[in-house]
Amino acid sequence: MTQFLANLKNEIFKLRKRKKYLIFLILGCLVCVASALRLVVANYISHGAISAPAALGGLTASNLSFILVLFLPLVAILAVCDLFVGEQADRTIRFALVRPVGKGKLFLSKAAAAFVLCAFDLAVLTLVSAITQVALGGGTRGIGAIVLACLLDLIPLLTLILFFCLVNQVVKGPGLVVLLSILLYVVLAAVGTYLPTLGGLLFTGYLRWHNLWLGVPLPFMAMLARVGLLVGYSLIFACGGYLLFDRKEA
Amino acid sequence: MDIVLQLDHVSKVYSNGRGARNIDFSVERGEVVGLLGPNGSGKTTIMKAVCGLSQPTEGTVTVFGSNVVQDREAALAKVGALIEQPALFENLTAWDNLRLAARYYPNVDAARMEKILGLVGLTPYRKEKCGKFSLGMKQRMGLALALLSEPELVILDEPTNGLDIEATVEIREIIIRLAREKGVTFLVASHLAGEIEKMCSKVLVLHEGEMLAFDTREEALRLHPSLEDYFLAKVRDKKGSVVL
Repeated sequence: MTQFLANLKNEIFKLRKRKKYLIFLILGCLVCVASALRLVVANYISHGAISAPAALGGLTASNLSFILVLFLPLVAILAVCDLFVGEQADRTIRFALVRPVGKGKLFLSKAAAAFVLCAFDLAVLTLVSAITQVALGGGTRGIGAIVLACLLDLIPLLTLILFFCLVNQVVKGPGLVVLLSILLYVVLAAVGTYLPTLGGLLFTGYLRWHNLWLGVPLPFMAMLARVGLLVGYSLIFACGGYLLFDRKEA
Repeated sequence: MDIVLQLDHVSKVYSNGRGARNIDFSVERGEVVGLLGPNGSGKTTIMKAVCGLSQPTEGTVTVFGSNVVQDREAALAKVGALIEQPALFENLTAWDNLRLAARYYPNVDAARMEKILGLVGLTPYRKEKCGKFSLGMKQRMGLALALLSEPELVILDEPTNGLDIEATVEIREIIIRLAREKGVTFLVASHLAGEIEKMCSKVLVLHEGEMLAFDTREEALRLHPSLEDYFLAKVRDKKGSVVL
């Protein structure tokens, strides 16, 4: 566990030192604020026909769609690519491989670091959305429930990150792996959208599953089945990714 | 006899047919063993197998009694390595690179990091990003990372690559001193016979992936005026030529 945590700290440190993730986060915050300002402008144009609380009341919830479906998958793709294929391409992967840390721990700590980055971004963007909503007169209605509900979105997010980790073991070259990850994600999301029967079986269909739990008591049995499905996907991706990672020459 | 490293009939053959075949030798504590061979002779292949960077296709590599493939953590706990070009994060400073490496070892603190930077002469550049370093400075930084944890076995692949004469002598002296005073074991690869001759107590001759000889330096120099002649003689023996 000590070596896992040591490597996790290192991977997070490396991600933190890359400016693009900070720029991405700032851009994400700007999009969240801009979506609120759009509603304020609409309210102004309509001469107050739409009241501020009505227009801005669901801001945090509506921003979550952008954050979970577009922003975080993109950040996850880039972070996983930097930590796997990027390091293999410039051979810095050897920095950790010649240290006393198991390859399994190395693989999982890299995935965990990408997850921590995404969870941090989710927290910041949700907070920015909530503050904007309150500051522009949207009120605090439902914010607490949304913040709690979006914690559930961390489960499918972890599955998605492990999926990208697996993709990184299959392809060489950072550019190609980013392209393939985006393509696969778009295809899976499209299949889930246009074939609803398959959507329930695909892990990408659960990225906004907090919507299921808003306003209703948590149906634990139904939730357990979904969690089981995502855990199954995660195990397959983690085992497959680790097996390929272990066989790779550095 | 305290065996630190044991290669038991190790083969690693790549898809292009290159690599190393049937390598079998052991290294005792405090020895400085030189792998001597031309480019493509299998030196780096052996070093990668010892560090766990690649898995042998046959045979086993045992470091401090632990199999490198099956028990990496125990095998590599007391090992420091510099394989080919130093693996440095170029967007990070020298100090940050050391800090990343230090996290894997409980005995490494800031004082040790300062000391190792001083040893390789990089103290004035600790806050500079490694991307701005010259080839020689990167090589020194790689050596600092290999020696950071005070390892008992150090694996160095062409350690003086890119260094000027003065720095080459300094590195050689560091290796000899650590082996003599602290009993550190070194496995050093080079294609320069003169370099191996000046610092190694044993020499292993490699050619086209095959191990041609493994002798002490004294034994090698008993019948040959230099390691260069010793190497050429072994290669001629293999090719069936008449040794003059």
